[in-house]
Amino acid sequence: MSNQTAMINRYKWYEMIAIYAGIALFLIFVLSPFVEGFLVSLKPLSRLFSSPYRFWPEHGSFDAYVTMWDSVPGFARYVFNSIFLSTIATAIVLVLVVPAAYAFARFEFTGRGPLLAAFLAVNMFSGAVLLIPLFRLMRSMGVLNTYAAMIIPGVAFLIPTAIWLLRTYMIRIPKELEEAAYVDGASRFYTFRRVILPLAMPGITVVAITTFIGAYAQQFIFALTFNSKTEYMPLPIGLFAYFGRQEVIWNELMAASFVGIAPAMIVIFFLQRYLVSGLTAGAVK
Amino acid sequence: MGQLYLNKVTKSFGDLDVIKGVTLDIQDGEFVVFVGPSGCGKSTLLRIIAGLDDATQGDIVIDGLKVNDLAPVNRGIAMVFQSYALYPHMSVFENIAFPLRVEKMPEAQIKEKVESVAQVLQLDQRLQQKPGMLSGGQRQRVAIGRAIVREPKIFLFDEPLSNLDAALRADMRIELTKLHHDLAATMIYVTHDQVEAMTMADRIVVLNGGYIAQTGKPLELYHKPQNMFVAGFIGNPKMNFLPATCKAVSDEGVTVHCLGRDVTIPVEPRQDLVGSSLTLGIRPEHTFIGKGELDFQITPTVVERLGVNTIVYSSTSGDDRFSALLPGAAPVVVDKPVTIGFNAADCHLFDANENALERRTALTEIDLEQLASQ
Repeated sequence: MSNQTAMINRYKWYEMIAIYAGIALFLIFVLSPFVEGFLVSLKPLSRLFSSPYRFWPEHGSFDAYVTMWDSVPGFARYVFNSIFLSTIATAIVLVLVVPAAYAFARFEFTGRGPLLAAFLAVNMFSGAVLLIPLFRLMRSMGVLNTYAAMIIPGVAFLIPTAIWLLRTYMIRIPKELEEAAYVDGASRFYTFRRVILPLAMPGITVVAITTFIGAYAQQFIFALTFNSKTEYMPLPIGLFAYFGRQEVIWNELMAASFVGIAPAMIVIFFLQRYLVSGLTAGAVK
Repeated sequence: MGQLYLNKVTKSFGDLDVIKGVTLDIQDGEFVVFVGPSGCGKSTLLRIIAGLDDATQGDIVIDGLKVNDLAPVNRGIAMVFQSYALYPHMSVFENIAFPLRVEKMPEAQIKEKVESVAQVLQLDQRLQQKPGMLSGGQRQRVAIGRAIVREPKIFLFDEPLSNLDAALRADMRIELTKLHHDLAATMIYVTHDQVEAMTMADRIVVLNGGYIAQTGKPLELYHKPQNMFVAGFIGNPKMNFLPATCKAVSDEGVTVHCLGRDVTIPVEPRQDLVGSSLTLGIRPEHTFIGKGELDFQITPTVVERLGVNTIVYSSTSGDDRFSALLPGAAPVVVDKPVTIGFNAADCHLFDANENALERRTALTEIDLEQLASQ
């Protein structure tokens, strides 16, 4: 009996089928664009629009993953730009948000509530709505066509979510830990560095991941508007290079998309480890 | 030295007065326990002494120095929290060393101090482990270790044993008493558990609703409670209260009419009492089956047999409950009336303001130290 699943986790056979059917439906919905994209990347360009439509590629090969580097010579640079922009944006967000979230979590100050609400309100506007004022701002600051033009607005839009996420996490750290440190003579900053930061690490990791993904995803709109220099282009803009004058090199475009996402995926997989290992950290009574 | 003096300390949170004026003198080396029901302000008072909360009014004086505006570390206190407040990411060694690292003590000295503390608390095998791997009692000892490593003048304990199971709590109680004896430091201990208070304290401070209800040695509180609150709070099961009317006062005490009989209770008489209604208190452990100087019939509604004792509960008039602590083999059965008696000398008497009339039990009879030295 002991190796059986707990009573609460036991289901009838038809319940199991229903559960898996639900999961399958959801996964198909989410993953089908990726599957289709991947299969397209395997098809030779000439066969792409062959009729009748075939799901499984005929004469499938990974050729596109090789030729894509030649068709768009700057591709590696675009991938680098993307990662560079996201990394810098994430770093800036973390430096700003970690102390801010701690302050919002622990300090009582006038206007704390309204300020938090204001941060949330910022999130209701997408960057696109504010593009024109942002453009004027960037122009008067003289940072158009630089990395900064893509990083600064990105950071601004990422901060609110990050503060809310991390604040919630930090509230959960028992107050007694700080009080104990205070009684033992530690300063606020010492406590923050030696006690709060290590304990908040899983929360900070979550924030880092979401911020990185967010930065990766939102580059497109800022890069498109605030930058016209080819060498600064991030991946989403760079992919436009596969749109030729005559035709779109669909298979290479898809291949390039997957290669472009790969570094971000790898980073996330690595950080994920810390998520799990950190979950139990705050649980000591 | 660790002498503490609280002078008319009050604390309000907005309109809510939590501490309503506490004056208290605690001697160097004393083990004082703050006890009271939840919400009586005992933890708040401890936090005020620690410096985690400000007093709204009044002075906190440690060794003759007013410390109201000093940070906890400069007051010479150390505190053990109810939740232990161990740093989960640090080893036991680092947890205990934390206050020393804050002081920037040289590494060699830290090592020496932490190891000697670990020795005292039997943690020397655990120094490299994280708190998460320790049992409740060990975590508790780490928390105590972090407090004693700094060699403070005054130790503050905020319900430190409430997270432990009953057996471990009894062990830790003994260890703490021993630690107090070894360190000879002033300790202030907050608890809602009267057993902890009775067993560990040199002196108990009973708090009720922000006031000190009574201060005294454990047995003094038991034998000579100054009011009905303390009488009901100290002792388990609770003291029984019965209505009585004062008939006469004399040198022998106060004669009351209670349970249909006149009986003289040996308490300090007060002339103004004649004719007024009083409350007579009798502890369950001072009752017995059969006739006494006072007796009446009760019908047990619940009988708890603990082996060594039997506790009988019965409802009397209205919501009142009468309980009796009888020998283990007492012949009592639910719903079968039984006569319960008790003697006048064991009774407590309270006036209409719930204040006790002092019993004529000489404290020498209950002062165990004096008894032992005789």
